[in-house]
Amino acid sequence: MDVVLLFTMIIGLLLMGVPIAVSLGFSSIIFLLVFSDTSLASIAQSFYQAMAGHYTLLAIPFFILASSFMSTGGVARRIIRFSIACVGHLRGGLAIAGVFACMMFAALSGSSPATVVAIGTIVIAAMKQAGYTKEFAAGVICNAGTLGILIPPSIVMVVYASATDVSVGRMFLAGVIPGLLAGFMLMVAIYVIAVKRNMPKGIFAGWGEIWASFRDAFWGLMLIAIIMMGIYGIPGVTGAIFTPTEAAAVASMYAFLVAMFVYRDIGPLAPRPAQSVGAAIAGPVEGTPKSLFQAPWALITAFFHRDTRDTLLEAGKLTIMLMFIIANALILKHVLTDEQIPQAIAQAMLGAGLGPITFLIVVNVILLIGGQFMEPSGLLVIVAPLVFPIAIELGIDPIHLGIIMVVNMEIGMITPPVGLNLFVTSGVAGMSMMSVVKAALPFLAVLFVFLIMVTYIPAISLWLPTLVMGPEIIIR
Amino acid sequence: MSKRYEPQGRLGRAVNAFEETFIALLLGLMALLTFVTVILRYIFNASIIWSLEVILILFAWLIIFGVSYGFKITAHLGVDAVTNILPRGPRRIAAMIAGAVTIAYAFLLLKGSWDYWAPYAALDRTSGRWFPTGFQETREQAWFVTDQVPPVRWLFGWLEPLINQGEEYEKLPRVIPYVILPVGSALILFRVSQAVMAIARGDRDSLIVSHEAEEAVEEAAASHRAGEDAADIYAGVTPPAGRT
Repeated sequence: MDVVLLFTMIIGLLLMGVPIAVSLGFSSIIFLLVFSDTSLASIAQSFYQAMAGHYTLLAIPFFILASSFMSTGGVARRIIRFSIACVGHLRGGLAIAGVFACMMFAALSGSSPATVVAIGTIVIAAMKQAGYTKEFAAGVICNAGTLGILIPPSIVMVVYASATDVSVGRMFLAGVIPGLLAGFMLMVAIYVIAVKRNMPKGIFAGWGEIWASFRDAFWGLMLIAIIMMGIYGIPGVTGAIFTPTEAAAVASMYAFLVAMFVYRDIGPLAPRPAQSVGAAIAGPVEGTPKSLFQAPWALITAFFHRDTRDTLLEAGKLTIMLMFIIANALILKHVLTDEQIPQAIAQAMLGAGLGPITFLIVVNVILLIGGQFMEPSGLLVIVAPLVFPIAIELGIDPIHLGIIMVVNMEIGMITPPVGLNLFVTSGVAGMSMMSVVKAALPFLAVLFVFLIMVTYIPAISLWLPTLVMGPEIIIR
Repeated sequence: MSKRYEPQGRLGRAVNAFEETFIALLLGLMALLTFVTVILRYIFNASIIWSLEVILILFAWLIIFGVSYGFKITAHLGVDAVTNILPRGPRRIAAMIAGAVTIAYAFLLLKGSWDYWAPYAALDRTSGRWFPTGFQETREQAWFVTDQVPPVRWLFGWLEPLINQGEEYEKLPRVIPYVILPVGSALILFRVSQAVMAIARGDRDSLIVSHEAEEAVEEAAASHRAGEDAADIYAGVTPPAGRT
């Protein structure tokens, strides 16, 4: 009964427009003060320890930092150029290239709205020019943009891993095949539609262009390789080199160096001082960047440059937002664990004869609804501590559950009436919400099929992590 | 919808610059220190014994300090699906109630933070479970130190006669890292109160944004509108050198 009250309060506060973090924290504090003998001082302590006591969560600021350096307009344009060179000559090629670019950018940025903004602003305009309808363009980008949270490195997965104490490395590996599969399914759907409706196709620019654009995009894409090889080791040569947190820190340093000294879109060597991200998206950077030989002092000044500070601040803001929610969710988790709430629900479900399949359907529905309203990380920290113990009780693999949850939230973001990505796309494409919803529907159907596959074929997510890291040991 | 925060007045700009630089500095130090530690370990096989603890302290400082800044610039995530469909009047009432709840939260957090920090600073806790009703005699814990962090005596030496009976600290006393709790939560309370007053005056719509890229989306939408008005921003303008 108390529990029903607790969750009613959380949801009520959320709908009223209370920040997610405060809704969680305030409800939990009230609950603890009324029903237990916990003091406010120990709540403050757990708030501090949420950061100072969680080494895994430390990966979040570093991944965010790495992607902040890498998600400037310049990198997005390089990735798009490479994708168009690869698949632009197929029928519907520009749309397929858009999906491809979203997949690569997703791997760099780890955030769906950010992917839609960075890739969408460029690709939607380009598709319109090439003769596609605006609706088709928006529908494609809106869906492909959601891949951001599924393709590693994904911040949402780090959040899931730390909320449930599973391995971050395993979660990342488990996302690889579903991420590629989802992208592939979208591309096939686009190709089929394109052939049917006789959509435009580009000209094959030749292997030279593929090679040149790859070389240009290489430094950005290397970031993914550094993270993956750092966490899992170079295949056949070394074992794991870094912990995920260390890999993220190394990646952020790498991203900084590439942004400052290789791409030079920002920083002391940039062609124009303080090139804003918006301006870089709007058009090609004018002039050529300076060479390091012209300005060797940049090696030092880069660390103190205004752009460095601004990128650090952007990443800091995002980290603060997420960690504020997570820190409060940990207070809620404390309440749930103390009261043995998930265990009680699990017993009730088992007693009523509900099996794993029914349970997964329930999880699907909760997350599809929740995912429409709420940013994925926020939703995850509320739902994961509640459903995780039940899933273990029912014999569902924790990694598999994590992937299901991530895919669910992806789809929640583009499910009408209020999916977050729909809003973002309507802003980016300058279309009404309703027309974006209509445009996204055919591809939403594709992702729905994908969700069912991921939910009921565990091997899609579990095959790769088991192959690389060996079978998992589940401690009840 | 949010509009970008612009600091007002000289003091406002100075405070804003301090907050932004401090946040950037904390994150930058965390990343740099982690990176250096990794390099030292894998390449030079050496280690800095205090680095992990310091990184985690910086992490806590970054978040607890930054939350108030987040309230100032309206960056915290929330659900606006319901409040957005309300008419103007009820929407403002909802925002005020949300503000009141957030103030209550900040207040409870501040009391808890003080109560947790005070013994480490040889100060008294407040009495009372929900509201501070006065101070109560507290056994001091000022001699508690961190695990590995060096004491930095040239900077914090003045604390020793003050709270440690003149005894030398061998490690950094815990009063230093934990001080961010009362400071940070006091700042949160301050910024939330400011925000709620702004809502009451009608200068601000709500405490929340619905996703992290809202600002970027608005920028894109704005450039889109601008783009539709004038198909080419360079139309009628002499192209700058190097651009054809």
